[in-house]
Amino acid sequence: MRIGTLKTSYAADEALFDTALQRGLLVALLVAAVVFPFVASPYWLFLACLCAINVASATGLNLLTGYTGLVSLGQAAFMSVGAYTVAVLEIRLGTPFALNLLIGAGLAAAIGILVGIPSLRVKGLYLAIATIAASVILHFLFSHWTLTGEARGLSMPPARLFGIAIDQPFSLYWLIMPVTMLMVLGAANLLRTRIGRAFIAVRDRDISAEVLGIPLLRTKLTSFAISSFYAGLAGGLWAYFFRVVTPESFPLDNSIFYLAAIIVGGMGTILGGILGAVFMTLVPELLKFGANWLTPIYPDALSALAPVRTIVFGALIVGFLIFEPRGLVEIWVRIRRFFHLWPFRT
Amino acid sequence: MTAFEPNRRRIIAGTAAAAGAMAFGFGRASAQAGAPIVLGGSIPLTGVFAFAGIGIHAGIQDYLKILNDGGGIKGRPVKYVAEDTAYKVDASVAAFNKINSQEKVSLYYGDSTGFAKTINSELDRRGTMIMAGASFATELNDPKKYPLQFMAGPDYTEMFGILLRYIAKEKPGARVAFVYSDTEFGRDPIVLGEALAKELKLAVVEKIVTPPGSVDVSTEVLKLRRANPDFTIFHGYVLAPIPEFITQAKQMGMRSAFMGTFWTMDNSTVQRMGDAAEGFMGVMPYRYYYDRDGSAPMLDRIRQMRPDYQSTGYLQGFVTAMLLTEAAKRTLDAGKDLTGPNLKAGLNSIKDFDTGGLFGVPISIPGNSVPVGRIYRFDAKAKQMQPASDWIKL
Amino acid sequence: MDALFLAEVMLAGIGSGALYALTGVAFVLIYKATRVVNLAIGEILMLGGYAFLGFAAGLGLPAIAALVLAVVTGGLLGWLVERSLIRPMLGESPISVFMVTIGLGSILVGLVQLGWGADPLRLPEFMPATPVFIGDAYLAPKVAVGFVAAAVVIAAFLALFRFSRSGVALKATAGDQGAAYSVGIDVPRVFSAAWILACATAAGAGVLVGAIGGISPTMGVFGLSVLVVVIIGGLDSIAGALVGGLLIGLVEALAGAFLGGEYKLVVTFTLLLLLLMVRPYGLFGTHEIERL
Repeated sequence: MRIGTLKTSYAADEALFDTALQRGLLVALLVAAVVFPFVASPYWLFLACLCAINVASATGLNLLTGYTGLVSLGQAAFMSVGAYTVAVLEIRLGTPFALNLLIGAGLAAAIGILVGIPSLRVKGLYLAIATIAASVILHFLFSHWTLTGEARGLSMPPARLFGIAIDQPFSLYWLIMPVTMLMVLGAANLLRTRIGRAFIAVRDRDISAEVLGIPLLRTKLTSFAISSFYAGLAGGLWAYFFRVVTPESFPLDNSIFYLAAIIVGGMGTILGGILGAVFMTLVPELLKFGANWLTPIYPDALSALAPVRTIVFGALIVGFLIFEPRGLVEIWVRIRRFFHLWPFRT
Repeated sequence: MTAFEPNRRRIIAGTAAAAGAMAFGFGRASAQAGAPIVLGGSIPLTGVFAFAGIGIHAGIQDYLKILNDGGGIKGRPVKYVAEDTAYKVDASVAAFNKINSQEKVSLYYGDSTGFAKTINSELDRRGTMIMAGASFATELNDPKKYPLQFMAGPDYTEMFGILLRYIAKEKPGARVAFVYSDTEFGRDPIVLGEALAKELKLAVVEKIVTPPGSVDVSTEVLKLRRANPDFTIFHGYVLAPIPEFITQAKQMGMRSAFMGTFWTMDNSTVQRMGDAAEGFMGVMPYRYYYDRDGSAPMLDRIRQMRPDYQSTGYLQGFVTAMLLTEAAKRTLDAGKDLTGPNLKAGLNSIKDFDTGGLFGVPISIPGNSVPVGRIYRFDAKAKQMQPASDWIKL
Repeated sequence: MDALFLAEVMLAGIGSGALYALTGVAFVLIYKATRVVNLAIGEILMLGGYAFLGFAAGLGLPAIAALVLAVVTGGLLGWLVERSLIRPMLGESPISVFMVTIGLGSILVGLVQLGWGADPLRLPEFMPATPVFIGDAYLAPKVAVGFVAAAVVIAAFLALFRFSRSGVALKATAGDQGAAYSVGIDVPRVFSAAWILACATAAGAGVLVGAIGGISPTMGVFGLSVLVVVIIGGLDSIAGALVGGLLIGLVEALAGAFLGGEYKLVVTFTLLLLLLMVRPYGLFGTHEIERL
């Protein structure tokens, strides 16, 4: 049982992972992540990559919505900016993938700032609608511009490293997983800096934050920029993963999906973004599994799958907001507290 | 991907296999004689395309049942392994990966243009299978870019070609309007279709784009009336907003004939147009379930197996399975292995092939499509699409 | 382009704008009373269309009875939603409540798909088919009926707010909840009433929209245009919803006629963005002054 916080140095106090158990778990997780691709079938690798991409994007949105308190329904649109940029660069110039990813993310960040400008004047729901407007305009642009292949979209060659194509779930895993881990680590670190704390201050009460001397507009725009940078990077990974980018690849539903992921996972915590994105990605697969299992007993199970998936998606959002507003993270914290305090009970 | 990568992978995977590979289902069936040939499928059993997907699923199953009851392909049964995709590209890719990690797949059915494009490089890389599917996109009809794919019918531009040829014959110099949705599906045949119309000396008087999912078409109908076409071709829709378009146009006293392409042409879909259905025409590569003109032993078989009406999706799945397995049969007959290029060569050797009357004429597949079709017109009294032209071969 | 065509296009635009306005009013009603941005309004509208189909085609009831029952179903849904989903969220951040309505929308879409499938369907014809001519300009009969129905309902609403006790109670609650409580207004009842009324209206609008363009589980996107309408008009202004509805209807029709159908949505949303820069609270919305 842990009885208190007994830190003797600032370094220990600032550490991201502050207990031996946490560090142990982290190492175990890393080892698992390294071993995983060697034992998993391509299907599981595929799912792992998809989860990782969603984690990256959800973490970005979490910075904006969970930490800065600005609701965006444009995360998928920012992803599409990254994805299209990567595809165009890869097709037209064939530049190295790392550069393409960065340019894509940078462009997404620039557009994020542009979209964030109304946040100077409008807040909350008006802002959310402004981000929907931005997604509609971006969607229109991509589906009518010859450079982005109009409605057909773009098919692109795979990323290459030393002449070897990265086009298999196995090799893609080694591209996507490390990038996602770096992004998550970056986000966790960002929140310990001046910028991150400014985000939280703005979220909690923007006018008070301004009184404290935090430049509101700059902070909000920074948050937009970083969040869309994450989205752009995730979109770029997405492009390398599927190697086809079409206007229908990033519908408004996907933006809602990411918002739902951080709500279910727990807004305003890094772990929440991860848990939520993984959970929301795997639920449809679980449902499919359940439907296959039910088919012998109830032959129509498969045809009921899509509506049930939609219902479960909505019910998860509603259920978590009403019964567990802090999300999966809160459940995790409760479990941890139980072990911390064991044999006593809370 | 170089040959080096999978090898290294297999070695490492081998050593790690004990660590629980079986738990993830890594086992692969080996391809011995007598072992089943696998037809995999990313099938849209749910979602917006479910109306077709359910039919496709049944059609594939029925054809394989007939084939397997007759001894399969050279004694090898064909096994059908399908996954639902909800008509989403990422789910289709996931299904593809899942099926391929469990089976040695030689034939595949894909559910959308997006999926066909996404998976194409993977098909080329694997080189172990050929694929056909629900997409008739013009882009896929290019054996150079899509060497291991084909479609069991004309592509959308060829469908337009068949319609326009019919129009040019019925009314030379007619005024034609295109109404299409602002999607990849909708835009597919428009540019080439317009060029072809010019060649046939038809005047394309108006091209109207509707936003996807739009319900209110009153402005578009007004535009259509200004253009006053003799023929209006809808493309990129299944049903909505075609009926409303036609209803309003008829109310305004327009005399245009209205036409559609394959996925609109199911008899029950057209029936759901209500009063607007009267006289609706469209292009169809196959005979309808109830067609009794000419000899069609395969349709008789279908009607025996399924006493009720079967959709065009069903026929599409059925024919696709037939052509896929025919390619496999020809490859084995030639004493070659079931690799992608061999299968495609087997498919392309199909010449003046009788599909048991499903296509009205013997077909050949020199490239990636089967450019054959016939115009049908809805007869409100019989509540059926009835042939309005001979079979048109491009 | 000749004047007649322009007139016809504008008539069609105003016709569909009236339906936007009607749904917009439903939206504003909820926002005014409970400060909830109801993103599920499009899905409630959709449910209205399906309920009508169920009563008219499924049970074979006459169109008028089916219409009334569809509206009642909408009202019941509103009551249920308010009591079970919105009441527990009282006092939570507006963002959470807004996400609850997104979740609700998703649930409704799934339920409709479960019951009726994903294919688009057509409502039984119950509207006159004789074309309406205003001067020489043609107006689709359904659109004309939709316009008249929307105008009547909106007029009834305006009268209700102006002259009835409950209308005044609603206005009081919208103005200041605390004050409304202290003068003895049953605020929770006002909440329920607003949701019931709004959802019933939306369901009715759904029948009209469905009669014009058919129904499908994706017709909830109609709500997206309605969102533009109310943001342009100002979230808490009924007059704003009216003006915004007609304006967006007109703009969409003109964009569709002169630029092409694919421009409809992008033009309205661009307009929205520009307006947000100039007037962040819409044309008629109340500018809230924030205090610490």
